[in-house]
Amino acid sequence: MKVKRYLYPALKIFLLVGLIFGNNILVYGQDAMEDAKVAVSFSEENGIKAITAIAVDQTGMPIEELELYFYVKRTFSLLPIGDPFNSTNENGMLEIEFPNDLPGDDAKGNVTIVVKIKESDLYNDLTLETTKNWGIPISLDPLKEKRSLWASSANAPISLITGVSIMIFGIWFIICYIIFKLFKISRIRL
Amino acid sequence: MRKVNSNGQAFETRREKDLLSHLISTSPKYKLWIAFLLLIILFGMFAYYRQVKYGLIVTGMRDFTSWGIYISNFVFLVAISLVGSLFSSILKLNKNEWAKPLIRVSEFIAVAAIICASIIIIIDMGRPDRFFYVITHFRIQSPIIWDVMIISTYLVISILLLYISIIPDIALCRDRLTEIPNWKKRFYRIMAINWVNHPKQVAILQKTSKILSVAVLPVAFAIHTVTSWLFATTWRPGWDSTNLGPYFVSGAFMAGAAIIVIAMYFIRNQLKLKSYITGSHFNNMGKLLVLLSLVYLYFNINEYLGPAFKMVGVEGEHITELFAGKYSLLYWFVQLGGLVFPIILLLFRKMRKPLPLLIISFFVILGAWVKRFLIVIPSLQHPYLPIQDVEESYLHYVPTWEEWAITLSSFAGLLLIVTILIKLFPVLPVQEKELVINTDINPLIIKNES
Amino acid sequence: MSSKKINCDSRRNFLKNISTGSLLAVSGLSLLSCKNSSEEKTTLLTTDGKLVQVSKSEIEEMEHLHQGAPPEEAREGIPGKKFVMVLDLSRCKNARKCVEACDTHHNLTPDRPYIKVLKMKDNEKSSPYWMPKPCFHCDNPPCVKVCPVGATFKRSDGIVLVDNERCIGCRFCMAACPYSARVFNWKAPPEGKLDLPYSPETSLPSKIGTVAKCDFCPDMIRNGDLPHCVPACPNGVIYFGNELDDTVTNGEETVRLSTLLKEKAGYRYMEELGTKPRLYYLPPVDRMFPFEETNQESES
Repeated sequence: MKVKRYLYPALKIFLLVGLIFGNNILVYGQDAMEDAKVAVSFSEENGIKAITAIAVDQTGMPIEELELYFYVKRTFSLLPIGDPFNSTNENGMLEIEFPNDLPGDDAKGNVTIVVKIKESDLYNDLTLETTKNWGIPISLDPLKEKRSLWASSANAPISLITGVSIMIFGIWFIICYIIFKLFKISRIRL
Repeated sequence: MRKVNSNGQAFETRREKDLLSHLISTSPKYKLWIAFLLLIILFGMFAYYRQVKYGLIVTGMRDFTSWGIYISNFVFLVAISLVGSLFSSILKLNKNEWAKPLIRVSEFIAVAAIICASIIIIIDMGRPDRFFYVITHFRIQSPIIWDVMIISTYLVISILLLYISIIPDIALCRDRLTEIPNWKKRFYRIMAINWVNHPKQVAILQKTSKILSVAVLPVAFAIHTVTSWLFATTWRPGWDSTNLGPYFVSGAFMAGAAIIVIAMYFIRNQLKLKSYITGSHFNNMGKLLVLLSLVYLYFNINEYLGPAFKMVGVEGEHITELFAGKYSLLYWFVQLGGLVFPIILLLFRKMRKPLPLLIISFFVILGAWVKRFLIVIPSLQHPYLPIQDVEESYLHYVPTWEEWAITLSSFAGLLLIVTILIKLFPVLPVQEKELVINTDINPLIIKNES
Repeated sequence: MSSKKINCDSRRNFLKNISTGSLLAVSGLSLLSCKNSSEEKTTLLTTDGKLVQVSKSEIEEMEHLHQGAPPEEAREGIPGKKFVMVLDLSRCKNARKCVEACDTHHNLTPDRPYIKVLKMKDNEKSSPYWMPKPCFHCDNPPCVKVCPVGATFKRSDGIVLVDNERCIGCRFCMAACPYSARVFNWKAPPEGKLDLPYSPETSLPSKIGTVAKCDFCPDMIRNGDLPHCVPACPNGVIYFGNELDDTVTNGEETVRLSTLLKEKAGYRYMEELGTKPRLYYLPPVDRMFPFEETNQESES
């Protein structure tokens, strides 16, 4: 009886402690994943732009079969480039082609290339960003509004403005002339 | 020989007595008529108050039928206002002498109709408190701005045309009428701008009159063509038509002629002017109405034959609805009862007598109003993209009592303005002969002792 | 004496349970947070004064997270961008989550949605399909052409907005739009309680007697977020992006715009009208779901 009385609280405490420890083990256990180091280099020959990535682990050994993801940073998201799945070969090397016709972010044609390790079982997530001017330059200057029917009032087509003005001024000139003549009538005295 | 009427007012000729008496005396019938019109207008103002308070939700308009009878009424009133140019310009320049007496009535109606049209379009706006934005922030590319410009121009020109034609008669009122209140005497004196029948004055008046007669014609055509562009610049079945401009203008002239007949009849009866507005006037108006209706019939056929032949998509649905569907009753009433039958009937002389002509003109006017309804509303119910997932009320447009009240009060306003103008100014030219420049000056007595 | 003992006992038990519970809770929380240690966490103050750390993915966006530019600035587009939307009709299932998201964030009543999902049937023999239809933000916009006061305007970044402080309620733009994209505030909109400064970019607070329509959510775009309808779609129907970037995304997939349109034969609705919409449709071929009349998510 006495044992029962102490058994249940003891079980509770044991469970609690076990949970906390297990929790911590898990926490520490995650930190057991390694950091990988990725070196990214860019080369351009014969008009083909290539990105080469070499992955090594903490000890300096090349990592084989590591999946790397290549992106270009765009307005709302990252645009994937290369094949859907790219993994390093036995030398830890991976080469993908950068498309030639991708518009850049600004007038210099700069693009931000992002290389990621994600959701890997053995290595922590990693993100590398580099800016290269491999994109097609685009103009960032706010475009001056052209004259058109849908522009603001100040940018109406010239032909419309001149046509309407001529007609309106013409008819109102006649009206003012008539009113002026009426004044003259009132001025005529006997 | 001096004519004296009951008030003690003395006139020089019988013509003066007939045409100027009603300016002085106010019959009880007149007061009743004014009270009746004011009552309708007050009712309309109450309906508008409700609209301002609760928003346009009090009307029957919803997201698809976003234009309703306010707009169709606006088009109708602009159409009516063209009658001024019909008489002051087309018939006058064409030297149709019989139409001369009717110029003034037509200008009264034109001015009143344009004023009421402007008021109705402000009533249709969702934010009338921002009406002046149309002037401060206008975009010259918008057909509505063109419409605003041309309507104000036409209003000014119509007022000028009206004024110029009655200056000599205002001077006559100033000189002849004694038994009128002082404010009225002052009013006539100011409005007469020192008119004394001086040859120089006569010369100027004739010249300006001629200039205005020519100038008003392009403006009149423009006003209704621009109004048609409010529809023709969109992609709606029934509106997306190159024929819309001439179609509207010819319809306007026809409706204007019918309105003049109605006005003629009532003025003739109420003011006892049977010897001035004679049976031959009605006869000629009947013939004019036939001519204008034939032109309108021609444009009607053009407007509907093309789309009916092709039956393209939503245009086909729209045509089917007009010819054989929801609106077929109204459509055939308008086309047959308001257009074809009047033409046939008016070919007979018997039908061009005053009373039959009046009845036929009523049908023509009613048909004209319903026609504008059929131009505006069915097209809005057939957009390119199907109307789905909306409540039942979106699919049918039934004007609410507020809309009817406001529409009726716009007519009452038109009649009120015309009545007041008839009360202030002689409705027919009092000076019988055309003012000619006399070699011997014949000054009228200017002073009128008060 | 015994009652006191019982009270003491119950209090002890209560305290024990509380401590156990809270310990479990904390450890549980830390377990959860460990799993998502790579995700960002934000510190929030709860309504009863507690500071908690929650991962960002668990936060539901409140309405009107961002403020748009005031009316004078809203006429300037975002430089260097020309927004474009692509709708993949082979994936649309009439889930109407886009409509829901848009209605929530623009405070709309169900009778005037900015984005409508229509059942289309091109001809008698072809199968019906669902077509979501927001405003097309045309490059040759008929609505902008006819506005008498310039209340609706086209920006350099392609977006067409409505300035409800200038609109006079003439409804000409509604008549001019061939795609029935605009709605009107016939009565006072339910926004009286909103205490935001007015911005055409959020279309809030809406005003009575003025026109409104889909605005491509420029307030979200300015902050680098997608318009509300894009991530709301469970089937990834709506793609949004920058034409100058040549990229569109539906929140999960990011693809090049030119590739998408070429490979899937993107078209614009009623191209022949010449309005040059900025919204492309991908034809309903190789459909993800067969066409079903009833809406599965909610009653029709």
